Amino acid sequence: MDFNLTEEQEFFRRTIREVVEKMIIPKAEEIDQTDEFPWELWKEFTKLGYLGLRYPPEYGGMGLDKVSCMIFYEEITRGSVGFAQSVIMNMLMGTHFIYRFGTEEMKQRCLIPAIRGEKIATICFTEDQSGSDLASIRTTAVKDGKYWVINGKKQWITNGPICDFATVLATTDPSKGLKGLNFFLVEKGTPGFYPGQKIQKIGCRGTVTGELIFDNVRIPEENLLGEEGKGIQYLQEILDEIRIMTGAMALGIARSAYDEALEYARKRVAFGHPIGHYQLIRAKFADMATELDAARLLVWRAAWMLDKGLTCTKEAIMAKMFATETCIKVVDECTRIYGANGMALEYAPQRHFRDARFLLYGGGTHEVLRDYLGRLILGKL
Amino acid sequence: MDILVCIKRVPDSEAQVEVKEGNVLKIEEKYTINFFDNLAVEEAIRIKEKVGGKVTVFTFGSSSSIEVLRTALAMGADEAILIEDENVPYKDEFVTAKVLSRAIKDIPYDLILCGREAFDTSSGLVGPFLGKMLGIPVITMVTKVEVKPDERQLEVEREIEEGRELLRVNLPVLLTTQKGLNEPRVPTVMGLLKAMKAQIKRIKVEDLGIKPDSIGEETKVEISKLWEEKKKRRIRWIKGTPEEMVKELIELLKSEARVL
Repeated sequence: MDFNLTEEQEFFRRTIREVVEKMIIPKAEEIDQTDEFPWELWKEFTKLGYLGLRYPPEYGGMGLDKVSCMIFYEEITRGSVGFAQSVIMNMLMGTHFIYRFGTEEMKQRCLIPAIRGEKIATICFTEDQSGSDLASIRTTAVKDGKYWVINGKKQWITNGPICDFATVLATTDPSKGLKGLNFFLVEKGTPGFYPGQKIQKIGCRGTVTGELIFDNVRIPEENLLGEEGKGIQYLQEILDEIRIMTGAMALGIARSAYDEALEYARKRVAFGHPIGHYQLIRAKFADMATELDAARLLVWRAAWMLDKGLTCTKEAIMAKMFATETCIKVVDECTRIYGANGMALEYAPQRHFRDARFLLYGGGTHEVLRDYLGRLILGKL
Repeated sequence: MDILVCIKRVPDSEAQVEVKEGNVLKIEEKYTINFFDNLAVEEAIRIKEKVGGKVTVFTFGSSSSIEVLRTALAMGADEAILIEDENVPYKDEFVTAKVLSRAIKDIPYDLILCGREAFDTSSGLVGPFLGKMLGIPVITMVTKVEVKPDERQLEVEREIEEGRELLRVNLPVLLTTQKGLNEPRVPTVMGLLKAMKAQIKRIKVEDLGIKPDSIGEETKVEISKLWEEKKKRRIRWIKGTPEEMVKELIELLKSEARVL
């Protein structure tokens, strides 16, 4: 057993941290305030090549291990959640199925430009009546000769209103429930495919989240990604990774709040001493540091299992839920350490407090995940 | 053009530092490449990109110093050498310069770049000592470098009191870097991957013909005492109309705080 990162991973972590501190953190507040997609930062950052971390070199990627990817997700989220969401969408969910099942031509047209940051990717699961309950998806894909015709409306789509292409989960046979689901590639400019309303959010501002509308969208038959009827099976392949990634993002938000609160506790003087001198404040840091460490170990363990090719559904859920609940607690404690300043918009804690909320739903609500994990543990009774 | 850069791993400016018994410093685990050395690495890479050549970075330190060597490789340096100081007792700047000069002696070079000073010890001596030991000219506090490859010369701008001077010098030369020389780059993924995979060459001081035990004797300067000085908070009130106050503040930021 070895709990150390390798020297290379340690170096990777430190470098990413410095890149984020230099490029992203100075812009985080502005991104939150304006709630506009930071195009300039996007161009500057994507130029460096980090969006290809998990893809092989032939597509402009690095083929890096999953533990290093989690380190990256944590660090970039520490910089700005709004920005990180868009970056991670291009790196993982928005491009995965094209990488796995797309034709070589699709990879040239979509995957490579997405890795370079020249195209914006997204994936569409959620609808107004269907979040965790994917079996109730109502977006349909109907075969018409050599085409598929897609109809429906997707909601809560990260990057949706600005995307250049979307991987869309739609049903080819509503009577089959989950087994009728399939992934399709739909590209910008296809008639009938257009963005709907943008959602105004309390957190993760800067990421453009909104609706995508499919009104008789005709796409070539090869745009069905993978074999028909296997969508849900393919989704299982990356659900664990998505959940662990969400845990890593939770670590990022929590650390951002924690680091700032630590500095504040060292400097802010009350009753003649820095507030970090007082036991109740120290206890907060002791608890937060312990739980953050535990959360990170869960995230890294699950990622390590992915790297080893081990089944880690349970471990991924544990990592996602524990890291998220830890984050929710940490951002709350940090606002308390700041006292009334924790409420002031000019200080950062309120931003982390708002940003953390998305973790409770992204990657699965904890109500659904806890029940599912319990079933996995207890088995069929 | 063969360029050598001497760099050092130093505590981050935000790291908590405490002085303990026996002049020992307790430093929080936050380290980084020395600010001025980072400028040196960046400048070396810029020169290489312009006129071609090779950039080799050196550090004399512990195994943990490998991380700053990797930082330089990620930025674009070609080779990195660690001179291990694991069995070396306390050393002064003279010894550091001597070790570096021995390591450099058999390597071809046209230009050596060092930071103006290390952020932790602030002596600013290693660069000039090294130049002296190698018998090459030294120019300190450099803010601009222009390469004249055909004449094997450099045109160098350096900071002087209340101004700048422009110098011309033959290669080989040693320069120490001053703030304002450049803006160090952010590493690309390709640079980062190259740095992660790179083999770092390790040299022991014994390999340089220096016995670790003899270093204690060679050290000319020793620290007798270290202590922390509590900074006094000086608050100065500026009076007048808003326009006058702003004017005076800008003047003070220029002349006293020297941040503008």
